[in-house]
Amino acid sequence: MLRVISPGLQTTLQGSPRIGTRQFGIPYSGPADAVSMALANRLVENPLNATCLEITYGGFAATIEDDCMLAIAGAIDRISVSGRAVAAHETLHLRRGDELEMSPPVHGARAYLAIRSGFEAQTEFGSTSTYLPAGFGGHQGRALQVADILRPCGKAQSDAILQTPQSLRPTFTGSFALRACASAETDLLHPQSLNALFNETFIAGRQGTRMGVSLTGHTLSLDSHGLMKSAPVFPGTIQCPSSGIPIVLLCDAQTTGGYPRIAVIARCDRHLLGQIRPGASIRLLARSIEDAAQDHANKQSLLDAWLGTSDQTGVGCLY
Amino acid sequence: MRALLTPKRTADDQFEIAVETTAMAQTLARTLRNSDLTEDVVAGLNSVCIRFHPRHAAEIENRLKRDLKVSSAPAEPSKIIDIAIHYGGENGPDLEQICQALSMSADAFVALHTGREHTVEMIGFTPGFSYISGLPHEIKVPRLDQPRSRVAAGSVGISADFTGLYALAGPGGWPLIGRTEDPLFDAESDDPFRLKPGQRVKFKAA
Repeated sequence: MLRVISPGLQTTLQGSPRIGTRQFGIPYSGPADAVSMALANRLVENPLNATCLEITYGGFAATIEDDCMLAIAGAIDRISVSGRAVAAHETLHLRRGDELEMSPPVHGARAYLAIRSGFEAQTEFGSTSTYLPAGFGGHQGRALQVADILRPCGKAQSDAILQTPQSLRPTFTGSFALRACASAETDLLHPQSLNALFNETFIAGRQGTRMGVSLTGHTLSLDSHGLMKSAPVFPGTIQCPSSGIPIVLLCDAQTTGGYPRIAVIARCDRHLLGQIRPGASIRLLARSIEDAAQDHANKQSLLDAWLGTSDQTGVGCLY
Repeated sequence: MRALLTPKRTADDQFEIAVETTAMAQTLARTLRNSDLTEDVVAGLNSVCIRFHPRHAAEIENRLKRDLKVSSAPAEPSKIIDIAIHYGGENGPDLEQICQALSMSADAFVALHTGREHTVEMIGFTPGFSYISGLPHEIKVPRLDQPRSRVAAGSVGISADFTGLYALAGPGGWPLIGRTEDPLFDAESDDPFRLKPGQRVKFKAA
């Protein structure tokens, strides 16, 4: 059991995405960075989509009220237990009375804290993931607050100490190169704008949420007056409103949209969207559909060796 | 009416199929949801998108091209639901500007909006957001250039041929004409969405 001392800027409980409910307008939710959450869960021998804390910009602190096994992955700077530094990407065996603290990361945006057996959370529409705009799932449908109590679903049976292989530990910087493909309405972009989209460096806008990140710095022009009929969108879709400022959609993205879908982040790189913070520089790397599918197969086989993702749905199906 | 369909690959893990009507999109989506190879099937107003693991792409494309035809299903008649709207002011901050652009009084706008029956065509965007057809052509306006980061639950917007009801607070790109206090979404209920595709509605000035 954990008692929250400081929730940081925004900490929510996230588990598997809500697959199959987009037809009712209910977004996926789940982790913004599905790979980092899977890595954290793996270290405590959980299913990869077991409910974790998603901690945005660090600043999280909690008291440990019962002995437990934890692990942390994602965007991390310093993690300490009662004042002494401990490692990310390693199973932590914490004792009653310990105080866990995480400082804000220099780069990247979100860290994932997994507990052996997963955190208890409210299930809505088949998932424990918190969807803040509608206030459901997770811990009373809201971000964590001071003095909230978090409980594991079960007791820790194993005290195996595991470490993420060095080659799979992500390092984040202030810039992101994301593979992307043309999509349904790419043809509406004027040639110069199409060129800019895949060759210029964009800056992540100030409103970076779990719904989307805007790409600023180059205003695009296209043959449209925002009157497109609403069509399905997904995390990874890049929409362009008539303002010409594209928006990349994330895990809490709406289910349909009427703005032209000018590109899509390749499935293999969508987990990185959860680590983009305002001001980060972003480049889109043009890929054919076939190359993107191959890139995905390559990344998945690298992860499979450690995570065993190939046969899992849920988190696995997000990358 | 039956038509052959042409799937377009819109991502390494997505196909989209264009159809002629919203009813056809709903029917096709229901058919496609029976497939074991898809992760998700979502209908738009005149399209259906299938999401899948990229390793199944070839198989799905073969099945779509070989097997798939769609027929337009007859609409099921339903009882009309009345929705009371507080038009204009804080509830509908864009109504004044819309009326100015249309050279029309707010009263005339409300008379047009409440003067006929409308039909829920699709649920999407955010939980329970309803796309409702039947908007008179005299009050057709485009989306906002820059979406709002937050609109209140119950907000009523219009865009192109549709009235949109925001069942929950959230971001939104539709010009807002009013707000309803009628409950549209109940997370506690087994059947949380009051409006469904095919439902007929009539708007009243509250």
